Amino acid sequence: MSSAIRRRRDGRYVVRLDANTRTVLADLARQLPAAIASRDPMVRRLFPPAYPTPELAGAERDYRELVDTALVNHHTQALEVLVATAQAETLSGPEFHSWLDAIGSLRLVLGTRLDVHEDMGVPDPDDPEAAEYALFVFLGELQYLMVEALAEDLPDEGRPEGDL
Amino acid sequence: MRIRPPRRRGGAGDGAGSVGTPGGSGAPAVGVVPPETVPLGDLGTALDEEVTTDRPWLVIVWNDPINLMSYVTYVLQKLFGYSKDKATALMLDVHHKGRAVVSSGTRERAELDVYRLHEHGLWATMEQST
Repeated sequence: MSSAIRRRRDGRYVVRLDANTRTVLADLARQLPAAIASRDPMVRRLFPPAYPTPELAGAERDYRELVDTALVNHHTQALEVLVATAQAETLSGPEFHSWLDAIGSLRLVLGTRLDVHEDMGVPDPDDPEAAEYALFVFLGELQYLMVEALAEDLPDEGRPEGDL
Repeated sequence: MRIRPPRRRGGAGDGAGSVGTPGGSGAPAVGVVPPETVPLGDLGTALDEEVTTDRPWLVIVWNDPINLMSYVTYVLQKLFGYSKDKATALMLDVHHKGRAVVSSGTRERAELDVYRLHEHGLWATMEQST
């Protein structure tokens, strides 16, 4: 059985998704940059503190000042790549990584909105959040398959230095 | 296999799958500065007075209920070059103990690692070892 997502010999990634799914992904990804830019509380999980303790509040301010623009741009650009390539049958390596980042961001925001926690059950079908929860689960399945395709290329024994 | 989306209910405005953006119309413009332009050499160089420099800084990844376990393992392998076994062990520590130290070093190095983990959506913080 071939996976819905795999890396081709030429290095491009094949993503088998139906047209409706692609439209759903693009619609979601199109909405998130505005929420990020306006610092909607629902995107807070994309910007965790580096220094969480009150006594290092000054260091945290410096960290935020230093990285926030780059972090916003990093996530926003990944979402824009997902929107631009949502209908593409194959993706380059960088495009595939942008998809992974964008889908991770969407999961973090949806998970925050749904207040996802580990011992939570699947919402009842009549629950107003059931559809959004199903979308959250679907994005997790997609993330899982993408990570599987990427992990094949990582050496099991590791490297002396990670990629910077 | 093919991936299918979950069933979407209702029409426009039912909130299914939408990422709400209250107040988004007044959003500041983004995208002016190209990505990857963090002056990495400057990270953490403005040392606070209350911080001493001789003890190493620890980079900590916290358990979160959203990121997949396989994703966390993948990110630790990718960013730090850890073996699959080591990355998996760290991920399991995060999962079962709530947190794990994934790297340590100078304050500058730790801030860089925290930033790279934040880029990948992981809940990472740093603290000086005691």
